[in-house]
Amino acid sequence: MQDPATTIYVVDDDEGVRNSVRFLLKSVGLTARTFASAREFLDGYQPRQPGCVVLDVRMPGMSGLELQEQLNLRGAVIPVIFITGHGDIPMAVDAMQHGAFDFLQKPFRDQDLIDRIQRALDRDAKNRAALAQHDRIRGRFESLTPREREVLTLMTRGKPNKVMAAELGVSQRTVEIHRARVMEKTGAASLAQLVRMVLDLESQDTVP
Amino acid sequence: MKADSHPEGQLGVPAAVLHGRLLHVSRMATIGEMAAGVAHELNQPLTAIANYAQACRRLLARPDADPTELQQALAEITTQAARAAEIIRRLRDLARSQQSERATTDINALVQEMIELVESDARLHGVHVSLELTDELPGVLVDAGQIQHVILSFVRNSLEALASQPGGGHLSIRTSQPSAAEVEVAVIDNGPGLAAEAMARLFDPFFSTKASGAGMGLAISHTIARTHGGSVGYRPNQPSGACFYILLPAPPAT
Repeated sequence: MQDPATTIYVVDDDEGVRNSVRFLLKSVGLTARTFASAREFLDGYQPRQPGCVVLDVRMPGMSGLELQEQLNLRGAVIPVIFITGHGDIPMAVDAMQHGAFDFLQKPFRDQDLIDRIQRALDRDAKNRAALAQHDRIRGRFESLTPREREVLTLMTRGKPNKVMAAELGVSQRTVEIHRARVMEKTGAASLAQLVRMVLDLESQDTVP
Repeated sequence: MKADSHPEGQLGVPAAVLHGRLLHVSRMATIGEMAAGVAHELNQPLTAIANYAQACRRLLARPDADPTELQQALAEITTQAARAAEIIRRLRDLARSQQSERATTDINALVQEMIELVESDARLHGVHVSLELTDELPGVLVDAGQIQHVILSFVRNSLEALASQPGGGHLSIRTSQPSAAEVEVAVIDNGPGLAAEAMARLFDPFFSTKASGAGMGLAISHTIARTHGGSVGYRPNQPSGACFYILLPAPPAT
């Protein structure tokens, strides 16, 4: 089920084209907002709203590719579908290399656009779910005390309780208590899952 | 040179006529560069029309189709169709001013007629120009403006290639008769010449080695040569530089 706030952002400097896309999307029950320039879009775009962008690659001022770069720089996860002119294949390839979700040549079949938008919205929903999950897990790890974090580090290195106790200068009983607290706070069901969570957090946090 | 208000160029062609022809030539260049732009421009109303039409079909498939909404889409389709027609009308007007007029022409005279323009262009680029005209060439049946356009686009290419030439560039326009059936005009420079991969695609539309180039100049030259029953080509110049040439059929000797 689609989030009712889902918005398709249509960015095209040609008024005739962008209004026709909005009309087409409305005919299949999708809500579109139109923008005449990349700048207008950046000013009006709500990063929290689910959706996707349908973007003309050629525009005066900031081009479609430059806009994609701006979105990348801002860490925006919203999928972008590029609309290229006929024969603009090199430009489409360029767009894909800049992280575009998909592209389509003008003029296009309505079903092709709608299918791509649907896939982009699915991707957006997955991206958002993954980000939310990531934030939740990060929050749990951030609630660990400094001592619990030390225990976590040693646990993920596979150290037995006895070794941990010696390294931390505490009793094995204390280590066991910290261990139980780490498992409880992070919500990990097993040591294997805990390790996976830590790896996920590390890998996502190193993404530029 | 007469001292009246109608100065004549060489060969008695009034300057005003020459000016008109040059305008015509530059308009030809514009058309070529416009071709890519026009394709893009026409694509916009066509895309809009297709979108509205497809949306109408979807709306009509619903039991509760709203006539007002459909009418709105149909009005938009009409507007966009008129817009496409307007683009085509402008293009046709432009093409109409390009009607080909062929006459038996002395190719040397044709080159000399444009030399002033070439020289002033070359001066701006710090390039020296010379002519190597072969006497007593047979007359060729051509549209002088179009052939001058071809030569000019060769010259412009050379001037750009010579822009970074240390010690000053040199450009030469040479006429010759390589065989009984052909007359050749070649534009030769002492620039860097062309890379092998550029040579193969040189006369393709949209091919350009320049970041800013639309890549239409040489493709148009190719088309013009073909409509005259001739050809355009490139060969490396010895010992260095580029040589672009156009071959035109010479009428059989009577």
